Amino acid sequence: MKSLSNTARKTKPQLLGLILLVTAAVGSFVFAEDNSITLKENFRDIPTPPEFHVEATLLDGPVFANNNGKTLYKWSQHKLRNGYSGEAAGTPQCYDNVLTVTAGLMSPYPAGIKLPELDSRVSCTDLWPPVLAGDNADPVGAWTIVERQDGSKQWAFDEHPLYTSVRDRSPGDVLGGTTRRFGGDSPAKRTPIGPPTLLPPGFAVRSTFIGRLLATDKNNSVYSFDQDTATSTACTDECLSKWQPVPAPGLARAQGEWSILERSPGVKQWVFRDKPLYTYVLDQRSWGLRGTDVPGWKNVFTQVAPALPDSFTTQATIQGNVLADANGKTIYIYNCGEDSIDQLSCNHPETTQVYRLAMCGAGDPEKCLTHWPYVQAQANEKAPSESLWAIVSINPKTGRFASPGHADALRVWAYRDRPVYLYGDDEQSGDVHGGGIGEWRGQRNGLRAIWLRDDYMSGIL
Amino acid sequence: MGNFKRLLTLVAVAAATSMTSSSLTAASSLRDGTIGYVITDLFWSVYQTEDAKQECPRGFNDGPREQFAKLYPNYKDMSVEETQLRQEIQTWHPTTEPDEFEFLAVEGDLSWGLNLDGKTAPNDFTHPDGTPGVDNEVYRSVGCIIGFRGPDGVEYIFQNKAIVDERYNRMMIELSDVDSLENDDSVTITMSRGMDRLLTDATGAQVMAGGTQRVDTRWGKSLIRQMQGSIKDSVLTTEPIDDLIIPWMNLGVPSIHLIRDMRLQLTLTQDSASGVLAGYADVDTWYKQLIRNDSTHHLSNGQISGISLYKALRKFADAYPNPESGENTAISTSLDVKLTQVFITH
Repeated sequence: MKSLSNTARKTKPQLLGLILLVTAAVGSFVFAEDNSITLKENFRDIPTPPEFHVEATLLDGPVFANNNGKTLYKWSQHKLRNGYSGEAAGTPQCYDNVLTVTAGLMSPYPAGIKLPELDSRVSCTDLWPPVLAGDNADPVGAWTIVERQDGSKQWAFDEHPLYTSVRDRSPGDVLGGTTRRFGGDSPAKRTPIGPPTLLPPGFAVRSTFIGRLLATDKNNSVYSFDQDTATSTACTDECLSKWQPVPAPGLARAQGEWSILERSPGVKQWVFRDKPLYTYVLDQRSWGLRGTDVPGWKNVFTQVAPALPDSFTTQATIQGNVLADANGKTIYIYNCGEDSIDQLSCNHPETTQVYRLAMCGAGDPEKCLTHWPYVQAQANEKAPSESLWAIVSINPKTGRFASPGHADALRVWAYRDRPVYLYGDDEQSGDVHGGGIGEWRGQRNGLRAIWLRDDYMSGIL
Repeated sequence: MGNFKRLLTLVAVAAATSMTSSSLTAASSLRDGTIGYVITDLFWSVYQTEDAKQECPRGFNDGPREQFAKLYPNYKDMSVEETQLRQEIQTWHPTTEPDEFEFLAVEGDLSWGLNLDGKTAPNDFTHPDGTPGVDNEVYRSVGCIIGFRGPDGVEYIFQNKAIVDERYNRMMIELSDVDSLENDDSVTITMSRGMDRLLTDATGAQVMAGGTQRVDTRWGKSLIRQMQGSIKDSVLTTEPIDDLIIPWMNLGVPSIHLIRDMRLQLTLTQDSASGVLAGYADVDTWYKQLIRNDSTHHLSNGQISGISLYKALRKFADAYPNPESGENTAISTSLDVKLTQVFITH
């Protein structure tokens, strides 16, 4: 995975480029840029303790990491059906005690039921080591220090206590969680933290499956036109009835990847990476993609998604385009989160398989292989470099990673270190009958399809 | 001007305005023998009496919450596998084996719907207007589950609400070759999906006639169906078609219903249409649409046990036998449908 150079690892003030102050009316922001940085998405430099730096990621934008390159995560409070989970500001809740019963946070099942596999169950801190602060650590800016139950000190960002994930192995890994949004009935998830994206006022960026999508702060996707350049536009007259230039304030100035096009005297338009930006009047959803149907027009990303495996395909459905295997069968991600106070995930081969086996095969691993077949890699297939996709070896009897030399092991595709699946009742290309299969519409113990394009439910978000 | 004359003037103006408005609507809705409507209400036809004593004399079915309490009084001594996952396994891997609970099916004789098979059999319902031979076994299955009953059943509210809210569900009908909306012995009906939001009044709650919809010929191409029908005394009756796929996303999971031998019976006006959409619903598709969109929590709010309901659906299924097992795979049904006039652009 890409990471910052040693020089760039320290977010020193000298790395700042020119400072641009827009008018007080639109607020002020600071562009930070260093051409030596290999980040795909530029970020705003903020005061940061010396033990932390910024790492580039493949799909989650820049994140903060510790000196070992481990990504930092927060566990924000999340409202569930019968109460809250996660951490309130300044209050660590993740400790080393092993929980034994359900929390009853998701109706209709009550609290107090024994959790599975208690003899091998781990604690919250086994999976999420707290980021402890040394005795000489000093708070700076948004970075503060909170006290844990045992009196030890823990780093916090925006008052959220910070953790690393045992899933992350290399700098830039974001395998413990994602900056992508999650649904209201999903577990209270851990999410990586990072510096603010370097954007002028009036813009926003979101992680999607297909990249870091740029939009206005009103959630309208922005587009660029192939025939435009940084200094000229081919979208005039009738074109403007469907494509609205994103206006730049009168006092805005060019900076880094952002520049200004003066379409006519006094009328300025934002330009990003040499392309003037527009919104599309026929986008009917926030963060829409519909404008790309018009030849020559593209959505704008601050960072595009890494490559997909060569054998994968895109299939049209009645909802939109979905990711599929070489045979055109829809590919699904398995989501799982326990109804426990610590909301530990159960979607990884190293976690309990009890939940997954129940859903895919009523507890029978053989049935699982029929109902939710793994997406198996072809014989000579290799994972693309710099990708969130990998080929892993799975023991089909247990669902766990296979030990080396395991005779019956399957070579299966994994996304973010978790195997992906097909759905047995999908008979032909374009079938998505597995979406929402499992508890809580596939959000807590079930399947969700991987959408590449949809016009109906923001499936890419 | 005296009060009486003023009143007469106001009445005359109002009448003229009303006539003008009506005439304009009439003139504009049916254009070149074509008129379009968009579905704004859609839900399973459930015949209800005020106290339910006629159709559900033994009361209503338990839901997941009640069943869990009865099955696992000592749940604190049990594991997730022995309780919660046991129930979820039965929900997601349903069988026709009896469970511990007696299922309360509809016992009344009356039902909305149509005579789908042209026969009058002992287990058929009678329409409230006296027409015998009504086939509606979905009603027999869901009629005594409060979540399917109006006005406040959870499915009744939310499945129907999604029809308006979700563009994914935006199904339309377009009548062409229409000479008259009162009587025409041959019209062509095309069903397709629209792409646009609905035109509503200022409250946002009332869908207004006169909106515009574009046809979804890209993602929705496979949803397009065409059929023949006739209009008699403003009632459109269509010939059955092999199948209709109804896109029906309720809580964020794009899913479908598959209705075989689908036909429509709609009362038409210039501004709206209403009636029934009937046929045989594929049982597994019906069940999966329900449980994929509504978690056990949501089903609990309507006392809907997916486990028990699946057994009932399979028990009362009355068409399309599996060639190998002989078990019926489809179940007769009727959906109450309301539509609002819309201009469909191609």
